[in-house]
Amino acid sequence: MKHDVANKQGIAPAEKVSLTEEGSPKEKGSIKEEDSLEASSASSIMELKHTDNSVTDKVIVVTGATSGIGLATAKELSGRGAFLICTGRSRERCDKAEAEIRKLYPEAKVIYLTADLSSLDDVALLGARIRELLASAGYDRLDVLINNAGTVSSWYVSTADGFELQFAVNHLAPFRLTFELLPLLAGSAEGTVIGLSSGSHYRTRLRWNDIMLRKHYNCLLAYKQTKLANVLFATELNRRLSAVGSTVRAFAVDPGLVNTDIGLKGTDGIVKKVWKIRSKGGTPAEQPARSIAYIVAEPCARKTGEVYWKDCSPLKPSRYSQRPDIAERLWEMSERMCRIRYDDIMQLQAGTVPDRAHG
Amino acid sequence: MKSMVLITGAAGGLGKAFAVECANRGWDLFLTDLSEQALQRLSSSLSSTYNIDVHYHCCDLTDFEARTELFEHIRSNGYRFNLLVNIAGLDFEGPFSERTRTQIRTILRLNIEANLEMTHEILKQRDPARTFRVINVASLAAYYPMPVKAMYASSKRFILDFSRALGEELRSLDVTVTALCPAGMPTTPECIKAIEAQGFAGRITTQNVGYVASHTIDKALAGKPLYIPGLLNRCLKALGALVPQSIVAKVVGSRWKAAQNKRKEMQPVIGTNAS
Repeated sequence: MKHDVANKQGIAPAEKVSLTEEGSPKEKGSIKEEDSLEASSASSIMELKHTDNSVTDKVIVVTGATSGIGLATAKELSGRGAFLICTGRSRERCDKAEAEIRKLYPEAKVIYLTADLSSLDDVALLGARIRELLASAGYDRLDVLINNAGTVSSWYVSTADGFELQFAVNHLAPFRLTFELLPLLAGSAEGTVIGLSSGSHYRTRLRWNDIMLRKHYNCLLAYKQTKLANVLFATELNRRLSAVGSTVRAFAVDPGLVNTDIGLKGTDGIVKKVWKIRSKGGTPAEQPARSIAYIVAEPCARKTGEVYWKDCSPLKPSRYSQRPDIAERLWEMSERMCRIRYDDIMQLQAGTVPDRAHG
Repeated sequence: MKSMVLITGAAGGLGKAFAVECANRGWDLFLTDLSEQALQRLSSSLSSTYNIDVHYHCCDLTDFEARTELFEHIRSNGYRFNLLVNIAGLDFEGPFSERTRTQIRTILRLNIEANLEMTHEILKQRDPARTFRVINVASLAAYYPMPVKAMYASSKRFILDFSRALGEELRSLDVTVTALCPAGMPTTPECIKAIEAQGFAGRITTQNVGYVASHTIDKALAGKPLYIPGLLNRCLKALGALVPQSIVAKVVGSRWKAAQNKRKEMQPVIGTNAS
């Protein structure tokens, strides 16, 4: 009895140790309490776990989850009990990230797949592997797709498909992966597609006559364009989904300035130095991870009908990003580039879920 | 059948940039490179994105038989061309005494022999109704004796001189020949590493491949015999002509050795046309 009271009052760890050293009778209740105390002090994320909705029954895909916002998101959602399929480029980094998550949450249901998202063939293959994996685990649905992976490149680098690297990874890969997984997302009651956009989508437009900036490449300009494309994609996807009566919803999350190393990987010189200084002033990656988790876990986020979110609340995206003519043009161009037609699967969707179409 | 653009080394960094540039102009393409898979992926992507016809045939251009087979393939299909872009080329960087006999043979065969044979053959398959353009990728390295890259730089000198002479020779046949002499270009991770190892000098002499491809085509269409991308690089070329060759060789040699030491690993770089 004495022990229980002590634990409930949140006594310092030193005292707890002395209590156990006494060789007290180990009642089940007291051990449980000790565990939860230790766990909550181990991580600040855990403290908030109890105040937030759990996502225990959700199946979630997170791309680029070996570092930065992707890893923080995977940790956050693992802590809330989700079944996670994460992706990364290198097996080694994937294993490291998985170990990190398991250290925090030994019970985590997480699997890492490797894929190079700069290649559209690899993206399609990743989609097929996710479908197989879910089928073999007995799931006939996917609840959330988080298109987090993104890159920055100082130089104009063309991918195997002949596209500019940032455009391919930041825009075309999510466009293609969403297409691959949309039928599974339609099987969920609250299918959700979340893209990582950025405040850098404001005050820019798409350069139609040279959308990948081949002739006058500028790293930041190319980045801004892809982040604008992410908002355009989410908006247009919602419009098309609503048109066929699907309940799947797309969101774009603005992470704000975050202290990650995205600006260091494919860059050199000035870009690298500026990013090193800027990112120090940024928030830790846990903050956007919580924004993403909020959209995943809170049903009210869907009900608002808002597409662009920052710090767990909706924000107005740029006016350009809401222009339907621009969104449609980008959509059609992306379909040609990815050699896919969303109409093929969307019609099928409307046919397979007639109840929702009327509701 | 519409006449096409033939690009060698099309799956490499500069090759892809040229392929995209031509595709963007709505021209049909014939691509060749070593890897069937790389060509297949690039071709299907380009034909879908730009709504053009793309043909490809993989070929090891260092091999005489393989070249013969490629030419047979082109003849039997009756393909006609209005532009040939000779990009395929490689470099085995490092001290000459440490190169192998195979490396010596490969660099000569690809950078020189394949280029000449390809030009010779495709001239015969040119579209008679149109002006025929040839773009040969030489290098800024063609203007200097370059220790540690001696074979590469002199093979590019060969291409440069050959291009200028051929252009003059074929002028009356409505054929133009343009030699492209770029500095280093960030085409592969190895090339990017090499450029970054050169520090500031490497960065300011470097142009993006998309820019280079686009401008080179403009120059070729205007019938220019030579294009050196970048004002600074043109100045470097002029400087190379003013300063005695012995001094140029010394300066270039010490710079390259310093850059190499910085990279530590002395493994050969197999990147297309990095100077």
